Amino acid sequence: MVTLVRQEIFKLIHKKSTWAASVVLLVLMTGIAVMSHNQPNTFNPQAMYQESFMAVPWIYLFMIAASASIIAMEFQYGTIKELLYRKYYRGQIIISKWITMVLYSVYFFVLALAYSFILKLIFFSGTFQLDETYGAKHTVFAQTVYYSLTQFVALWLILSLVLLLANLFKSSAVAITIGIVGYFALSVVASILAILIKKWTWLKWNPLNMMNYPSQYISPSLKSMTLLSTNELLIGSLVYTAIFLVITYFVFKRRNV
Amino acid sequence: MADTILDVEGLSKNFGSKKVLQNVSFSVDRGHIVGLVGPNGAGKSTIMKAILGLFSYPSGKISIDGRPVSQTSHQELEKVGALIEYPGIYPFLSGLQHLELFSNDGVTRDQIMDIVDKMKMGSYVKRRAKTYSLGMKQKLGIALALVNHPELVILDEPMNGLDPQANKDLRTIILELAKQGTTFLISSHILSELEKLIDDLVVIDKGQIVYRGDTAALESGETKLMVLKTADDEKAKQLLSQNGYQIVKADDVRIVEKDDTRMADVIKLLSNNDIEIEDVSHVHNDLETSLLALLQNDKVKES
Repeated sequence: MVTLVRQEIFKLIHKKSTWAASVVLLVLMTGIAVMSHNQPNTFNPQAMYQESFMAVPWIYLFMIAASASIIAMEFQYGTIKELLYRKYYRGQIIISKWITMVLYSVYFFVLALAYSFILKLIFFSGTFQLDETYGAKHTVFAQTVYYSLTQFVALWLILSLVLLLANLFKSSAVAITIGIVGYFALSVVASILAILIKKWTWLKWNPLNMMNYPSQYISPSLKSMTLLSTNELLIGSLVYTAIFLVITYFVFKRRNV
Repeated sequence: MADTILDVEGLSKNFGSKKVLQNVSFSVDRGHIVGLVGPNGAGKSTIMKAILGLFSYPSGKISIDGRPVSQTSHQELEKVGALIEYPGIYPFLSGLQHLELFSNDGVTRDQIMDIVDKMKMGSYVKRRAKTYSLGMKQKLGIALALVNHPELVILDEPMNGLDPQANKDLRTIILELAKQGTTFLISSHILSELEKLIDDLVVIDKGQIVYRGDTAALESGETKLMVLKTADDEKAKQLLSQNGYQIVKADDVRIVEKDDTRMADVIKLLSNNDIEIEDVSHVHNDLETSLLALLQNDKVKES
């Protein structure tokens, strides 16, 4: 298994897009930091820091693309045969890809957190303090880390679906499209969803509603819309992620190549 | 069983209602080069994919070194290297990186470079595969099949896209490795490419095995013929068969050539009986012709 993960990482780090994504992320974060520095009233520095200078939507974008392509590229390049006719079991192959994507997403979050810290030191050293709570339950730093963790959970809900779709359709385009639409459409359909959930309460268990977990963690008042507690959202997210991954596992195992 | 490395028994496979493989059985002896030959769509790649555990099959048994191989049991595939259909290549990696990626832990850099040299890939092996031509990709695919020094190598149409020189290089490598004990199962729809290589032959048509054995048997199974054109073919046939010659049913006069058949005797016999001979020729079937005849005459029905 270690060998397989190592091989997946080898492929990942030899793709130009892997490094391009990191550079783009840092540049965009720097841009937000500069804007926040120049217009602190519009872009509240502390809030910006806590959202890792808007890194999260970009991480979603890059991770959705990377997860779709780690599966779909093997079909596209015909390398799936080379992967599968070795001594390894199919289950090991797909799990090695998941582990690689988990590591890659952890890398992104750590990178974003670390770079946020650097940006804070450069632009906002006196503006706010990381170890102050400013009336909240946790310090600014802890808050930021917790928020990233909730985002990580929501990201993996989307990624598990993207991995499943890439497996079903063998095409990264379909998986990326649905993944991105699923994530970014949430804000658009949120109000419609809220109405539907009010009408048929069982709809609160739909996976799209689970995507509200990070937002509800920040603003607990969202509960009136999601009709689920924050912990229920967390558990719901994890259960859906597990379901999607298990389906992917069996689809991949039974596929004729 | 000790000298059989691959054993396929009663393998069947359907794609929907179409029977792609029907009760296919053959075995491959260790150290032999076996050709898997048949027309396009006969099921060559399907057999190879089944051996490599790439898909499930409803009935049949495949074993490598006496141990079963299927979609769910892959352990024995450690001994196998393969190139199926077209080489799977990551455009963002160089040829060398491909070889590094797929080589087992025990394979050294020198061993990788040895294959690169033998395949004459040195000039481009460090370039990204995106820039490779069809032939370069094909060579890389073959190198990948060989990089882990497998006991059994499965090559599907390996000569695809190779120029004559590369073709010859490949034959040299295969023969050399076979001498060291590596077993090869090589498919092609062009038999003349394989003729110079193979020890044994498995011919498949419409999903069924139509011939299994060594190449010599297939060749000798076919007869050498002396073909005559005369002014009166009917009379000539009659005369010749009365004189103990074996005549093959055909429009022209075809005599089965045996060791003691001499052209001079035939000519003498005919001219003594006032039959004018217009032309004489010999027909010697090569493997290709024998194969085509075999495929034409087999009674395999498509289902």
